[in-house]
Amino acid sequence: MKKRNIFSKWLLCLGLLVLIVVAGCSYEDPESESAGSNSDQNEGEEAGSDNSTSNSKSSSNSVANKINVGLDVDAGTMDPRLSRDTSAKRVVEIVYDGLIRLNANLEPQPSLATDWENPDATTWIFTLREGVTFHDGEPFTAEDVKYTFDTILDPDFKAPYASLYKPIDSVEVIDETHVQFNLKEPYAPLLTYLDVGIIPKHVAEKGDSLSSNPIGTGPYKMIEWKKNSKITFEANKEYWGGEPTTGKIVYNIIPDNTTRVAALESGDIDFVHSPLSPQDISRIKANKDFKVVETQGLGFTYLNFNTEHEILSDVKVRQGIAHLINKEVISEDIYQNMDKPGKSPLIPASWAYSDEITGFEFDKEKAKKLFADAGWTDTNNDGVLDKNGKNLSITLSTHSEDPNRIQIVEYLQNVFTNNGIETEVLTNEWPTFSTSLMEGNFDIGLVGWLNLVGPDRSMYNQFHSESGSNYGGYDNARVDELLEEGRRVLDQSKRTEIYQEAAQIVTEEVAYDVLLYQGYIAMYNKDLQGFDIHPTGSLYGLKDAKITK
Amino acid sequence: MMTFVGKRILHLIPVLLGISILVFFLLHLIPGDPAMTLLGQEATPEEINRLREVLGLNEPLYIQLLVFLKNLALGDLGTSIFQDVSVLSLILTHLPATLELATLALLIALLIAIPLGIVSAVKQFSWVDYVSMFFAQLGVSMPVFWLGVLLIIGFSVNLNIFPSFGRGEPLVESILMTIQSGNLFYIIDSLKHLILPALTLGVMSAAIITRMVRSSMLEILNEDYVRTAEAKGVRSFWIIMKHAFRNALIPVITIVGLQFGNLMGGAIVTETVFGWPGIGRLIITAISQRDFPVVQGCVLAIALLFAFINLIVDILYAVINPKIKSN
Repeated sequence: MKKRNIFSKWLLCLGLLVLIVVAGCSYEDPESESAGSNSDQNEGEEAGSDNSTSNSKSSSNSVANKINVGLDVDAGTMDPRLSRDTSAKRVVEIVYDGLIRLNANLEPQPSLATDWENPDATTWIFTLREGVTFHDGEPFTAEDVKYTFDTILDPDFKAPYASLYKPIDSVEVIDETHVQFNLKEPYAPLLTYLDVGIIPKHVAEKGDSLSSNPIGTGPYKMIEWKKNSKITFEANKEYWGGEPTTGKIVYNIIPDNTTRVAALESGDIDFVHSPLSPQDISRIKANKDFKVVETQGLGFTYLNFNTEHEILSDVKVRQGIAHLINKEVISEDIYQNMDKPGKSPLIPASWAYSDEITGFEFDKEKAKKLFADAGWTDTNNDGVLDKNGKNLSITLSTHSEDPNRIQIVEYLQNVFTNNGIETEVLTNEWPTFSTSLMEGNFDIGLVGWLNLVGPDRSMYNQFHSESGSNYGGYDNARVDELLEEGRRVLDQSKRTEIYQEAAQIVTEEVAYDVLLYQGYIAMYNKDLQGFDIHPTGSLYGLKDAKITK
Repeated sequence: MMTFVGKRILHLIPVLLGISILVFFLLHLIPGDPAMTLLGQEATPEEINRLREVLGLNEPLYIQLLVFLKNLALGDLGTSIFQDVSVLSLILTHLPATLELATLALLIALLIAIPLGIVSAVKQFSWVDYVSMFFAQLGVSMPVFWLGVLLIIGFSVNLNIFPSFGRGEPLVESILMTIQSGNLFYIIDSLKHLILPALTLGVMSAAIITRMVRSSMLEILNEDYVRTAEAKGVRSFWIIMKHAFRNALIPVITIVGLQFGNLMGGAIVTETVFGWPGIGRLIITAISQRDFPVVQGCVLAIALLFAFINLIVDILYAVINPKIKSN
């Protein structure tokens, strides 16, 4: 009992001590304090330029000096040469500038390069912007451009998109403000791919890691990166394109789609964008506190047919299968119109798009006839088409991370089975599934392509018989010829014709059946103003946006 | 006691070695490798092969295993293939977050489970008993992600009391910051971030521990010495706390120890729903990228922690029941 008494006395003392400490403490949000003073500053500036707002300083019309963005994954690396995931791109596009920047119509606009010219088809000369400095205060020069591309092309550097720059033979510094790209062969898509961030040579050469400490010339500097939690950026007041409107941007990493949208609804974040669950979108649309903007994205979801498969090598079978797919149902019922029915590998956001290339409409009778033409009929009345005693049987595969894609394959399995095709569904996690694709070990795979900034990007690697991503082994000499020509010819209207012809052929021969054109959706706080949506998902536009309450 | 602890630590070595080898083979046997995921869909087979060479993935499996074990023996867990930082630094930034979450979850679980378990045992077949057993059943059967989303919708979206995601400053740091600055904001902000995920994670453990406390108490309350104490006129509160509960604790501690291990592993779903930057999410991402060194390092760290918790449980047995020590 005595022991207990001593114990309770100690407990009492401890409790009192905590109480005293707590009583002596205050409670204030250190961030709100600094944001408050900054917002005063902003308003002061506005008041100077516009008399009508000069009285607003003490009113409720204040400007929040921070924009909270919700992203689905953390950035892997912040080095623009190595960035792979979408979040890394979101970081790179506000911290770095490329030679060019793509506008919302995917046309190259001057950025660090103010002008460019082609003396001949294999030479590009870029005039660089003067007076630009990196975030560490060092000036940006032609040497930095050369260094960036030299390292990307260095095979030991492991740059994931090195193949896009392969036609570059060398990059030469002409003088401080001029660089020359010498190509091995004419390469029209090059300009579109030159939006890769230019890194500071003096930092990289010192061996400092740009992977976690990016130093660019862009509108925001990264000031803190809490892995898997958040990335904080501060406005670069010296930005050559003008000081950003909002002082801070925070990328919050929220992996769960539902939580990310709930965080928007609770006001913890101000901005979310694709990928989103279709189910959440209609709810936010109905809520007056938020703005929802939609545009065509830069991706498509497609069925990849293995043209080397013993049954699917017959083009009539592939066409028959294409006739069995009701893309409207997939778009409306599974995606709730977030993604639109697809037509060909040319996406609507591209200048090369044509809505006359349409693929195959949903028509069971036509499908049946095509199967019969190819010799597949139900001879033994078991509900499954057969030929020479063999059943028409295929496997539909996809990856398990995306519940909507799983729904698509299950829906297709149902339709196919009802129309005499014995269909098996196989879902594996991404690394396993993508390995089977790359090894050509699949019948029909449901996959997607992202970031298709031009027709070369959505067709060359996919359909050229000798390229890496032609998983289905598609081989058509005319398509090869067209895709090569599309890289050589610089004139856009001629290129449009070339790509449309190629797209017509691959659609007709069902190398791919493009099911959906992916939509891009941004949802944000209605007080966020001045943000322009960009089909790549770029957040560069946030530099001109602000939250006014 | 020291020899007991020393022996247990020695036993750890073969266990950890076994786990490392098992994880190594499991990872290398499933399809997909980091070179492919690293270079993305547009890479050519030659590029992939060159990267495999650089990463040492073209070596025979046993050579790769020996290299891994040699580095491990030297205390080197390697470098993340994807993030270009050491695996150790990744573990050191992510493990404390999970520990913090699991500890608070366990605390919540105990705060709910012990009183509820005792009361339902003492008042067996009363309405208190039925209600608490109903909630215990509910807690065990509720999917964690569903409860998490429900809490977010209730407390963040509708009531706006707690943040819907993320972590504040680390709890320990926030306590220090509060003491230094005298500003309670830091500690309250950290706790506000912690409460929903910890509750989500703790509910299932609370349910399991409640049932354990109840059944263990029921058994003890029927013992002769409890009846003797009652006959001697000891106040029933002291009978329950001193005579019964203390003895009922042994099986409860076992289950609490196991639960803590489960919480560490089970935190993966909670961490994903709440965007909590813990080791569970780190492992899941690493597995989907086939970032071998990160997966191996994290699994090892968790295994080590699990073994450590078991050791503490064993020591606690000895503290509570001196008979065990003499055995």
